[in-house]
Order: sequence, then structure tokens, then C-alpha cells
Amino acid sequence: MAFVAVENISKTYNDQGSRIGVPVLRDVSAEIGEGEFVCLMGPSGSGKSTLLTILGAMNHPSQGRLVIDGIDVYALSDERRADFRAQYLGFVFQQHHLMPYLNAIENVMLPLATLPLAAIEKRRRALEVLEKVGLAKKWSRMPNQLSGGEQGRLAIARALANEPPLVLADEPTGTLDTKTGDEIMKVLLDLSARGQTIFMVTHNPANAALAHRVLYLRDGELEPTPGVVEARSEYCRSGRG
Amino acid sequence: MRISTIAFANLRRRKGKAFFLVSGIGIGIGTAVALLSLSGSLREEIGSQMDRFGANIVVTPHSDSLALDYGGVSVAGVSFDQHQLSNDDAAGVRRIPYRKRLSVVAPKLLGTVDVDGRRTLVAGVDFASELRLKKWWRLVGRAPESATDVLLGYDVARAVSAIEPFPGTSADADKSSAHHSAAPEEFRITKERVTIGSREHRIAGVIGQTGGPEDRMVFAQLSQVQDLLGRPGQLSVIEVSALCKDCPVEDIVTQIRKELPHANVSAIQQSVRARAEAVDRLSRFSLVVSAVVLAIGALMVFTTMMSAVVERTKEIGVLRAIGFRRTHIIKGLMIEVVIISAAGGIVGWLAGLLASRLALPYFTEAGAQIELRVSLAVLAIAIAMLTGIVSSVYPVIRASRLDPSEAVRYV
Repeated sequence: MAFVAVENISKTYNDQGSRIGVPVLRDVSAEIGEGEFVCLMGPSGSGKSTLLTILGAMNHPSQGRLVIDGIDVYALSDERRADFRAQYLGFVFQQHHLMPYLNAIENVMLPLATLPLAAIEKRRRALEVLEKVGLAKKWSRMPNQLSGGEQGRLAIARALANEPPLVLADEPTGTLDTKTGDEIMKVLLDLSARGQTIFMVTHNPANAALAHRVLYLRDGELEPTPGVVEARSEYCRSGRG
Repeated sequence: MRISTIAFANLRRRKGKAFFLVSGIGIGIGTAVALLSLSGSLREEIGSQMDRFGANIVVTPHSDSLALDYGGVSVAGVSFDQHQLSNDDAAGVRRIPYRKRLSVVAPKLLGTVDVDGRRTLVAGVDFASELRLKKWWRLVGRAPESATDVLLGYDVARAVSAIEPFPGTSADADKSSAHHSAAPEEFRITKERVTIGSREHRIAGVIGQTGGPEDRMVFAQLSQVQDLLGRPGQLSVIEVSALCKDCPVEDIVTQIRKELPHANVSAIQQSVRARAEAVDRLSRFSLVVSAVVLAIGALMVFTTMMSAVVERTKEIGVLRAIGFRRTHIIKGLMIEVVIISAAGGIVGWLAGLLASRLALPYFTEAGAQIELRVSLAVLAIAIAMLTGIVSSVYPVIRASRLDPSEAVRYV
């Protein structure tokens, strides 16, 4: 059984004041196995962000089911779904969305704020994750004291703090230069190599090529694409991974 | 890292906005505190001024006669079954359950005697009580000390040539005017002793002209007058001054009536009612102004919180996305509101106290003071917090209901 099962999901947005709905996703079905690194590509307006927010348990689909680890996510109440997000999901946003008034370690501890853990345990976990992304020595820096790449790594560290089974990334390299983008991709690939399940939306074919599998969305429908992209193995062979 | 850590960090980050909110609530609370403190002090002062007007309860012997007077002109009446008051009755007044609310009990015996050969109304009084009761008396000389010391009313003093005006004063120019009002410093005592009945008494002082019956009276020690009139232990009237701050005058009257069933006990309602009305008006005015200022403060908190929610849509969306419940968002924002409101309450209380202290001299006579009441501080902080919380409920709930997918997409 797949770790993530997207079952016939459709989403229609209703324009305010209009009875006519705008369909964004049409009968989308997909599966993601545990430890898989899956990329979602597609042109603007194809429904990528909508599918990502549905996978992120934040956007109720009009039809269909999302099952993660056997849990029918949208059958949960709003508050239980918040708990689900805290327990199962890690988000990496396109513009990182770090809290500018918290330092690096506090940003990483943010997803732990609502969890019933001792302060020392929260700090230990945060330091461990910062170590993973190579920012342990900069734990006390404020976000504006970090470079773009470091901010991206910090955003990934925050997504990992609650040890989520699934990491969702929304074009994490979209606004970055090539070097910084590569830095972020390296961290994600390292995580993938350690068995982390990752679902990433991207416009960048080179980044998509590094995933285990690419899903292609056009006009709200998934198109069949080749499963494994050669570039990944090439990337790994070249020693960058 | 707790939700409160985020709230504190947010406050540190938005110092300007926090300062603005604290100031807004502080101004509202400060105005309310200043007005309430001022009206409280004015209430005290009005109360003490009313008390200074003299007795507000009069105990007289029970009589079946009707008073025969009109426009200040008295005609002798006939009394039936008159019960005399005695020293024991004065002691009885001091025994009532509300005795702690009695500031002065002043027994008197009235009669007529010859003073240097002139028939004069004499009052036997307990000088310690009488001088506390008649605070408006302006004495030239000193307060009586020994049993034979007396105080002369202004007209009596003039009649027995015990005083003379200072040269060049208006009193000197218009000695004959019966309605002349002489300030005490306009005359001096020229005589040491006066004969009352057959005994010589020392003139301790002369009461400056009051325009009242005192001007035509002599005041001596109660026991002396009781001896002089041959009425040992008897009294004509007992004047009582109840401490009038929230005093239950009617209850005191009832208790005295119970203690002295043979006496007439009446409250001077007019002064009590006038005082109560003045105090009530002041209190109502203060409450209305305070409510208006607080409402403006609440509106300010509301608009600031609404704009803060819009400004923080992204942040709230991120927090919701990473697993914060609605209640966690509410808790975080409410911690900020409570801290700001409590700070506003403390600042407002201090500012209000300071403002009322500065303003007090312009509203009251010298000597009035602003009380440092802990209850007012607690009330100020509680109302500040209530104002902050109530006016933030809608913005905070709205923030918690932000759709995280919309909020994240918003950026």
C-alpha cells in the first residue's frame, strides 16, 4: 500500500458572486511510496499549488480522498488536521517564510512549539536538524544575517524539525540563483538518500530530473511521464549528490 | 520554544505598534483613573464640607406644642408634656450601634441670664465638641480652657463694650450698623472679664460676626450654665454630626430614636440630599466620560488588531501550515493582547494618578489629596485587559479562521 494515495481528487474554485465553478484539478490520482522523491511539474495555472496544498492537508478537495499512512486526511476535523500537519508534514515554502523576529534555532523549533516536549528536547532536536543542513554553528543568527542558500537550508531544517514522514516543497529553488539552488537541491537529495519521502513542485526540469519520479500536470490533469529520470543517476555519479 | 515565546518575540519586533497600543489603552485608562480619582477626592471634599456645615441630626425634647414662628420671628408657644433631655441622653447617643459614624455629639443647655446687667441668651456647651461642630466660627482670642472661660457673640461683645474696632477700619466708621459684617481682625478684645448672673467669668474670646443667632449669645461651660440656671444635668438640645461619607443618616436617626424614645430626633435632610446629589452627578459624569474614552481606546485596539491580522496573514498561514491549531493562533495573539493591555493598564493607572494629582489643586481647596488605592489599580488593570480582550476577540477569531492555503498563496 502506498504511503500517500491521491484518489480521484477534483477541485473546483467558486468565484465570488458567481455560481459557475472554475475546475482546477480533475480526477487526479497518484501514489507516492515511502522514501520516494517525487517532483510535480506543469505550466502556470495547471493546478500544481492546489495539489500541493491538498497534499498539505490545508485545502479541502471538492471530490476524492487523500490517504496518508492509512489516514483519510480530509475526514479529520480542522483541529485534528492541524495536529496531522504537525505530526506528518514538513513544509518548505518558495520564499522560505522564515520568521524574521526569531533566530535560526527558534525558527527551527517553531513546529515543535505546540508539541508536548520538554524545552531541552526541542532544543536538542533543533540542533540535530541544524547539524543535518550544516547550520549548527549559526544557530543564533537571525534570518537576515544568513545568505540566501543558508536561509533555504534553514527553511528545510524547520520542515524537518518535527521529524515528518513527508516533506512538501513548493519551488524551493524558484527564486534562487543557480549556485544557491544547487545548494538547496543537494540538501533535499541528501535527505532523499536517507529515506525521506519528498514531494516537490518545480518549474525547473534540471531539478525535476533529480527526483525518483516526475508527475506532470496540465489543465488540472496528470499526464503520464517516464518514472525515473536518468539525470538523477548522472547527478549522483558526478559526485554532486 | 512555546507559543508565548512567539508572542514575546512578536512584541519585541513590533515595538512601535506595541507602544502605540499601550499608549492608546493607557490614555483611556489614565483618563478614567484621573476622573475617578478626582471625583473621589471631590466626593471626600464635598462630604467633609457638608460635615463642616454642622450638625445633620438634631435631638430635642419631645413636645406636643407647635412651633410658633414665621420668617425667623418667634412667638412664645405653649408646651405640653415636655420631657427634658439630660446628660444621660447625650451619653445614650454615644452608645448607639453606629456610634463610630458620629463625628461630634454636642449637648447644649439654653437659657437667659444677665450679662453685665443685660438679659442675654446663654448656651452651656462642651467647648471641645462645640468648636469641632462650628468650624466656621472665627475666634478672636483663644478657645476656652478653664471652667469659667466664656466666648461672647459679636453683638454681645459690642453691647458689653468688650471689643473695639481697630482705628480706621470700616467697623469703626459704621458702628451703628446692625448688619455690618466685621472680620475678626477688624476688632480687638478690650475687656478681660464679664459678669454672668452673679459670677465673674473670663472672656477667652469673641466669635467673629456670623449673622446668625451666635452673635447674640454667650457660650459657657455646660456645667457652669446648668448651675447658673439651676437645671443640673439638664439639656435643651443635642446636636449630632454624623460622618456623612456614605452615611446612613436615616439608620442613625432610627437608632437614636430607639435609644431616646422620649426625644424628637430629626435629620437635616436637605444638606444630606444636596450632598448626595452633587456626588452622584460627579460620579455619573466621570463614568460617562470614562466610558466614552475607553470606547475610543477599544476602537483603536480593534482597528490596530485588524490591521495587524492583515499584516500577519502570511505569518499566520505559515504557522497554520506547520501544524498550529486555531486555538494556538488565538492563544498566541491573546497573549500579546493581554501583555499590551496589562501594560496599558499599569501605564494608564500611573498616568491617571499623576494627572489627577496635578489637576487636583485646580478643582479643590488646598489639603485635598488623591488616595493611593490598590483597588483602583487592580480595577484599572482589569478594565484595561477586558477592553483589550473584548476589542480583540473579532480580529483574533478572524485570524484563526484564515484559510492556511489562501494565506500561504497570498505571498
